[in-house]
Amino acid sequence: MKHVFYASAAMLALVAGTTQAQAQLKFAPGEGAFSWDSYEALKAVDLSGESISILGPWLGPDKELIESVIAYFEDATGADVEYAGSDSFEQQIVIDAEAGSPPNIAIFPQPGLAADLASKGLLAPLPAETGDWIRDNYAAGQSWVDLGTYAGADGAEALYGFFYKVDVKSLVWYVPENFEDAGYEVPQTMEELKALTDQIVADGEVPWCIGLGSGGATGWPATDWVEDMMLRINTPEDYDAWTTNELKFDDPKVIAAIEEFGAFARNDAYVSGGAGAVATTDFRDSPQGLFASPPQCYMHRQASFIPTFFPEGTEVGVDADFFYFPAYAEKDLGKPVLGAGTVWGVTSDSAGAQAFMEFLKSPIAHEIWMAQKGFLTPHKGVNTEVYTDPTVAKMNDILLNADTFRFDGSDLMPGAIGTGAFWTGMVDYAGGKDAAEVAASIQATWDSIK
Amino acid sequence: MEMAGTKSRLTWAVNLAVGFLVLLWIIPTFGLLVSSFRDRDAISTSGWWTALSASEQNVIVRADAPDNAVQNGSDWIITGNVFDTGDGTVTAFGITSREPEAFAPGEIATHAQGHEITVDQNGDYQITYREQPSGSRGQRLFVRAESPPGFTLDNYREVLFAEGMGKALLNTLTVTIPATIIPILVAAFAAYALAWMEMPGRALLIAGIVGLLVVPLQVAFIPLLKLHNNIGIGKGYLGIWLAHTGFGLPLAVFLLRNYMVGLPGEIIESARVDGASDFAIFRKIILPLSFPALASFAIFQFLWVWNDLLVAKVFLGTGEDQVVMTGRIVDLLGSRGGDWEILAASAFVSIAVPIAVFFSLQRYLVRGLLAGSVKGG
Amino acid sequence: MDQLLFAVSTIVVGVFGCVAYFYFSNIILDRMLPASGPNAGANINKANAIRPWLFVLPALLVLALYLVYPVFSTFFLSLRDTRGNFIGADNYVWLAGDDKFRESLGNNLLWLVIVPAASTFFGLISAGLTDRIKWGSVAQSLIFMPMAISFVGASVIWKFIYDYRGENQGEQIGLLNAVVESLGGDAQAWITVPFWNNLFLMVILIWIQTGFAMVILSAALKGISEETIEAAYLDGATPLQIFFKIKIPQIWGTIAVVWTTITVTVLKVFDIVFAMTNGQWGTQVLANLMYDWMFRGSPDFGRGSAIVMVIMLLVTPVMIWNISNAHKENR
Repeated sequence: MKHVFYASAAMLALVAGTTQAQAQLKFAPGEGAFSWDSYEALKAVDLSGESISILGPWLGPDKELIESVIAYFEDATGADVEYAGSDSFEQQIVIDAEAGSPPNIAIFPQPGLAADLASKGLLAPLPAETGDWIRDNYAAGQSWVDLGTYAGADGAEALYGFFYKVDVKSLVWYVPENFEDAGYEVPQTMEELKALTDQIVADGEVPWCIGLGSGGATGWPATDWVEDMMLRINTPEDYDAWTTNELKFDDPKVIAAIEEFGAFARNDAYVSGGAGAVATTDFRDSPQGLFASPPQCYMHRQASFIPTFFPEGTEVGVDADFFYFPAYAEKDLGKPVLGAGTVWGVTSDSAGAQAFMEFLKSPIAHEIWMAQKGFLTPHKGVNTEVYTDPTVAKMNDILLNADTFRFDGSDLMPGAIGTGAFWTGMVDYAGGKDAAEVAASIQATWDSIK
Repeated sequence: MEMAGTKSRLTWAVNLAVGFLVLLWIIPTFGLLVSSFRDRDAISTSGWWTALSASEQNVIVRADAPDNAVQNGSDWIITGNVFDTGDGTVTAFGITSREPEAFAPGEIATHAQGHEITVDQNGDYQITYREQPSGSRGQRLFVRAESPPGFTLDNYREVLFAEGMGKALLNTLTVTIPATIIPILVAAFAAYALAWMEMPGRALLIAGIVGLLVVPLQVAFIPLLKLHNNIGIGKGYLGIWLAHTGFGLPLAVFLLRNYMVGLPGEIIESARVDGASDFAIFRKIILPLSFPALASFAIFQFLWVWNDLLVAKVFLGTGEDQVVMTGRIVDLLGSRGGDWEILAASAFVSIAVPIAVFFSLQRYLVRGLLAGSVKGG
Repeated sequence: MDQLLFAVSTIVVGVFGCVAYFYFSNIILDRMLPASGPNAGANINKANAIRPWLFVLPALLVLALYLVYPVFSTFFLSLRDTRGNFIGADNYVWLAGDDKFRESLGNNLLWLVIVPAASTFFGLISAGLTDRIKWGSVAQSLIFMPMAISFVGASVIWKFIYDYRGENQGEQIGLLNAVVESLGGDAQAWITVPFWNNLFLMVILIWIQTGFAMVILSAALKGISEETIEAAYLDGATPLQIFFKIKIPQIWGTIAVVWTTITVTVLKVFDIVFAMTNGQWGTQVLANLMYDWMFRGSPDFGRGSAIVMVIMLLVTPVMIWNISNAHKENR
């Protein structure tokens, strides 16, 4: 029976090696404000015959976008790059890496998982000069280096992750015309935001739409709220200490941040559907309330990706817009911004993989996506003129004007906390449990994994 | 006479009871079916059971841009209709989000900036400016409207004609057919031996195999993929066939043995007396008699492999020539999910083949499990 | 097309290979131990001892490789920490003290009692009833349909049942709440109601498994001999009495098979909980807890494996029951 199967395997190999059409280039080289010189420079690298596999979490439209970027790399170098997206990326990369058949490059939505693979020796360190390059060319370069630096299997720290594509999370979405109709102004400080919230209630309306539902990931939107609140009532140093558990989860500072979130989410008058609906409303459905007639709510705090779930035909900048989730004027903490990003790591080293990581440094790799949809980058060398969407440019401004930029804390915490106990705890808290009790139980889980 | 009356009343009761049960069981699926013909906004704003009736809803429509106003005497006017399809009845309208139903159709609303707006019952609107207006952002019209039920085939179009879907169907068949047939063959021989041949430790073997039913597949992925990589199979069809064979075997052996134990022992004994070998008995007596049981297991295995996504993700490569249908459908959903309409349509697309298989094999399914299970475990 | 050809040829080659293995291994056995000549008697005995193993060998090999080997490697993993150091029973000690684990264990026991019982019960009722009517086979197909729906579809289906909209969030799109409201009740976020939410999740699995139970039980019912039933009729037994006193005892064995199979399915239930609640609001179950530790965030195979071992331990009673059953048959 065995050799019969081997014969089939050989036949399979024959069938497999046939197709691979060259993807079309989205923007003709040489035209527009793109940094085409970096594209031309890429042509010096010859990788024909080389194939590179990439595994990431992006599907659907996002997949098309990343493929449109990859197409330029393929065109210039002759390499054959295959991107595969997975809805169960976390599970798949772990299985593949552990079993010894990883892709060349993996795109991690959370640095925690990358750090974990690095500690097991399953990631290849990036060349030493990459760290210097990031420091020089990324805004707040050192922080990106720190976020991509993990301990390897031998315990020695090295740069393993390269950030490409960033999301801003500290945004409040609203419908400008609803604000006009009601005579509301965009709040500039947290005090104003709270006053506006009360005013909307006084007008007999509901200020907020909040939804924590997300199937297997229910609870994560609440962690963003708490992180944003952490940055608005505590120092960035406290925030950093919190993500590493030097500041305990049940510290009064953290509990205060949780309660700041509760001040919005647990007030029946503040949230659409009442506090009881917060935990079960799907985060994808929750922004719909902004667009109802009459409006079910006036504001929705969510990251830059959310317009995907606005009703069909909604034009951002016209039908809907956003403002910066403001900071307290009375607390001297500047304008903190919470963000997230995808970190790229080499899971199976090859000349092609290294060349591709090098490609990610080139302005063109950023500009192609920027010119299309929803792409933010800390890369200082890109030409921001390629932004066709003024709202994205506005987001990038928020990013660049930030006094403090901090990465999504739950992504930095160990998985059992950041994608486990923290989520569950927030769901319990939204359901009416005491903040101190919730914080204590999250801390207990954290203690158990040390 | 008395007896007949009771009987027909009983028959009525049974019919009603079955009707009720069936209704209870198909309502959820029916909801999905209806949803698969609606667009995303409709799905998330109204219940599927309202889809069949005319609905009264508050909608927001953006009128044409002021830049497009045409001069009419001393005024500038913008005209149009609030309904995309021109089908529906306006029962009220408004010009601010605070009072979306302030005016009856035909009334004239005066905007704070001076222009006048009116919406008629049939959806026609007219905005009249005293002076030439400018701007590219049209006035928002808040309309309470009764609109006929709207259905769309777009969801199915998107799923069926998605890029690579045909190829993916082919890949799925390539996975499914061998992954259904191979375990049946292997299990049939084993089941025969465990049912009708003397061997030491038989009971223990049977119990062990049944016990393996409970192994969660997730634990098998890493060691097995590692194994496949080490012996050179890697990721590919051969690997997934073997994996599905392994995962399907316990149930196959369990069901087939139960069936074969129930076959009449006399036939087998007399064949043995006549000098037939076990191989001949298996081929000439057991296999034909067990055909129904084989078909029944085939259905379960087919359903499971057809709908599987996880095993395919782990054991198959990611290339165009190895992505299965379930994988392609997940691709359509985007990174954050939430496209309920695509999910609904794809659920019905992917249900079609298994249901066809079920219907065509239903007759055997019933007979096959019959004998196997009458005997008991 | 090439690919389809390839698939078809593999099937042919695979099937032929399998058959060839069984055929030739039998011939070789007969050649090596001929049933004639000086040692005929001893040879026949030897051949008879070996032959069953030839038949079960492929199955045992595949099972050993694909299921037994992973079980053992899981066991060894359960004695290690995230870095692969041997830590003895530490993971089990941790489990014993973990609140979530205790919650899952309790929930799993609840699932183990309710789901097999309810599915078998509904399966039996629908089998008993559909056997008596003309459109029975159509009714059966409709009740069986949930088994054929992919898991992705099933999770959407039940979203449209349990969905909850708060007061000003517009009309309900979840059927259950719409019904409750039309009856004058208050809408509820069903999947968050403590304890009861477990039942709402179980309903989903019962909905799926009833079709399985029904098909098998209906077949068994058809196998009962007509004479027994006729005799009971003549004795004046009511249809209900016949069903409970005569039919059910006769298919008791089948009921046990159905029960076992569903029990095993329940122990592995993961998808439903994962998609509906991810174990929150007190609905965690073992298989989902295992998944969380194995693949979420920074994986801890040690703890995940320890949970798997507990799941397999839970099935031991079922296995013992099967062993004793198999013994009875072998008498």
